[in-house]
Amino acid sequence: MFHTLSWVAWLIAAAVPAFTLRNPLYLALVLGAAWLVYTALGRTSPIGHSWGTFARIGFLFLALAVPFNALSNHIGQIVLFRLPANWPIIGGPITLEATIAGAVNGLGLLTILVVFAAFNAVVDHYQLLRATPPFLFPAGVVVSIAMTFVPQMVLSAREIHQAQRIRGHRFRGVRDLLPLVMPLLANALERAIQLAETMEARGFGRIATPLSRRQAMTIQLATLTGLLSLLTGLSMLAYLPGYRLWGRVLTIAGVGGLLGGFAVQGRQVHRTRYRRSAWHWQDTVIALACALVLTALVVARLTAPARLAYNPFPPGSLWPPFNLPVGAALLLLALPALLGGRGQEARWNDSM
Amino acid sequence: MIRCEHLTYRYPGASTPALYDLSLQVEEGEFLLVMGPSGAGKSTLLRCLNGLVPHFYGGTVSGRVQVAGRDPIALGPRGMADAVGLVLQDPEAQFVVDRVEDELAFALENQGVDPVVMRKRVEEVLDQLSIAHLRHRSVNTLSGGERQRVAIAAVMTLQPRVLALDEPTSQLDPQAAEEVLDALVRLNHDLGLTVILSEHRLERVVQYVDRILYLPGDGRPAILDEPRAVLHQVELTPPLITLAKALGWSPLPLTIKEGRQFVRQQAAGSEQQAAGGRAQDIAGSRYARRNTPHAISVQNLEFSYNGHPALQNVSLEVRQGEFVALMGRNGSGKTTLLKQIVGLLKPDRGRVEIAALPSSRPLDTRHAAVEEIIQRVGYVPQNPNALLFSDTVRQELDFTRRSHRLPAGDHHTLLAALGLIPYADRYPRDLSVGERQRVALAAILVAEPQILLLDEPTRGLDYRQKAALTAFLQREKAQGRTLVLATHDVELVARCADRVVLLGDGQVVVDGPVRQVMSESLLFASQISKLFRDPALLTVEDVLALHSTR
Repeated sequence: MFHTLSWVAWLIAAAVPAFTLRNPLYLALVLGAAWLVYTALGRTSPIGHSWGTFARIGFLFLALAVPFNALSNHIGQIVLFRLPANWPIIGGPITLEATIAGAVNGLGLLTILVVFAAFNAVVDHYQLLRATPPFLFPAGVVVSIAMTFVPQMVLSAREIHQAQRIRGHRFRGVRDLLPLVMPLLANALERAIQLAETMEARGFGRIATPLSRRQAMTIQLATLTGLLSLLTGLSMLAYLPGYRLWGRVLTIAGVGGLLGGFAVQGRQVHRTRYRRSAWHWQDTVIALACALVLTALVVARLTAPARLAYNPFPPGSLWPPFNLPVGAALLLLALPALLGGRGQEARWNDSM
Repeated sequence: MIRCEHLTYRYPGASTPALYDLSLQVEEGEFLLVMGPSGAGKSTLLRCLNGLVPHFYGGTVSGRVQVAGRDPIALGPRGMADAVGLVLQDPEAQFVVDRVEDELAFALENQGVDPVVMRKRVEEVLDQLSIAHLRHRSVNTLSGGERQRVAIAAVMTLQPRVLALDEPTSQLDPQAAEEVLDALVRLNHDLGLTVILSEHRLERVVQYVDRILYLPGDGRPAILDEPRAVLHQVELTPPLITLAKALGWSPLPLTIKEGRQFVRQQAAGSEQQAAGGRAQDIAGSRYARRNTPHAISVQNLEFSYNGHPALQNVSLEVRQGEFVALMGRNGSGKTTLLKQIVGLLKPDRGRVEIAALPSSRPLDTRHAAVEEIIQRVGYVPQNPNALLFSDTVRQELDFTRRSHRLPAGDHHTLLAALGLIPYADRYPRDLSVGERQRVALAAILVAEPQILLLDEPTRGLDYRQKAALTAFLQREKAQGRTLVLATHDVELVARCADRVVLLGDGQVVVDGPVRQVMSESLLFASQISKLFRDPALLTVEDVLALHSTR
């Protein structure tokens, strides 16, 4: 498989068009690419099955978005049929344009979900955790524990449900949740305490160099002023259109301050990485391809923004516009699927 | 390596100390077993060695502890992590990371160990515990024994000089326990690692250990000595030791092999012939229930979980008042069969019928609702924690009565029979494993089912608790309740069951009277049965009865 950073690049390159473009042609390309990547590489991953859930939720959104938009949005010239005008909200003409707009919205959501599902299935989560900057590490560990905890809790919940059913417990109202929830909480708590003990016993959280008083003060100050400046900047941008420049300056300064504080803090945590994964030529290819996708998007937005957007409502046309370079660039997102087979074998061999 | 001087420790808010004036010394490379009843302070002592007590738990400590030249009371668990490795009971609750290899590296990464050194240590530990083939697996897909070995490996990467294990096999089946103990013996022999282990099932470990520390837990002083010397002074011991003490065998045999030598010496007196004759009578008398009506009838039952066959063509009949033990490896379908009988799972093919009172028709689980079946069948699941949620034991029983729409009772007889009167108003989850198990049993029995199903009721119990449970089950049987028990515990089966049904890979492999099955099986036989290989002799009582008639 590829380097974690190439996957992060892929996620960015795929998520940006999925989030920003409301054009069914581009969305279909991204969706297809993500689908290919999953089928080629993600199927063998231990949490590959979660894919099904993601895809199902996506299709559910799609199925909901179409009637929702069709029934609530009455703009458009091609009328499919009419509902009595005195019905609140849904009454009036039901148009083809509104139906299509709903479908495109649904497709957008489906694409976003499928992109994340594919990333989730192909990326090695612990490698991802290792790649997080040190100041985020404790939060990352919590996520990692949750990922090992959740399957156990699901099993535990099932066991409790069965056990209570045999005692004659029937679900009739909220009060009947107690026999199901209490043992689950108590089990989770007992497990959490045991895990805390194990982690303590394995020396987790032993920071090599404790912070000096002055360093601690600096970090706290940087964080605090950073947060304040970020908040002020954002609210100026939102509510005071006359102070746009100041708003921007404050926002950037705030982000900078926060990052600086984190960086100082992160330097105190001495961690090493077990087995740095190797960066192969395929990784370079993927990273370049991702950069190309993003560049194509930016260039298209600057030069021909009209060819990116899609508006089925008049005066727009029903047929979406298409920009060939952008479409070709989006196809590159399927590249990992093509390069995948060999890379995967190589990785397994060198770790055996 | 380990030295304690006048160690006394009291948990916060406790009236009596968990450890009182304990002094001991353990040499480097020793394999020490810590034994004693539940609540005697075994876990507390192990946690003292790495500083979890008092750093994690609070409380007051006096006296001195020194482990590998360091003072855990001063340094705390973080300072002791590379000197003492601690492994706990529940293999499921000890993992931070999903993948085995990353789990092993986790502690090293946090200590900032150099990547080259780290790589080497992980490889070494993978081999030491023979888990190299599991390195890419997710911990959630491992078996119990594999998980526990991974948990040991995860602390071994820090290269501790002492390995402390708190009942590491109590949640495992016999084969998995064997795997874990083999791994420990190897670490002790090959690396000279000091191992200190607490364990209830002595028969599994006494042959491996150098010395035993016995914590009586009732205020008497602890005993630390050679295994034989300690076992002489302890009342509750494995059947082999109990028998050897009763018959005056000396030196005490620790293994079946050693025991057989004494048997051979005695058999020279040619008593064995007579015993063989009696065996047939006993086997017959305990199995003479041909005329009683069926309580449970399973016919050609097939069932699969997501395409994996769990039960294949199982046919089984249980008569009223019979005590049947379901045995077999983990995953052989024991629990699935119990769930089929209580109607939680429905057959794919075949049928399960539960007999009712003489008048009405038998219940077919395919059509009957669970609510109907549980009027007749009670099922105590493996893990009592899945049941208990009320504030007091009494309320727990009231809840079952209410759910079954039965009039409220006062529960006194049932609580007394299970020895739960002193705990009637306590919070069930504060009780020990054995007490919780009995509360769960009471919470099911309070609905007065005619048939009782139990899944691994002796898991995690000490000898005293097991003896109490055995006596209770024998009384239940005498009162005519039908019992079906899924268990690995051969001693319990030898003492209580009429019949053994051995499952293998979802099929019935053997179905026969307990004496016959045990005397013919190598794996599923009680210690005494292994010793004599005689259907008449399964328990210590059998042998002693034979001796008294001589």
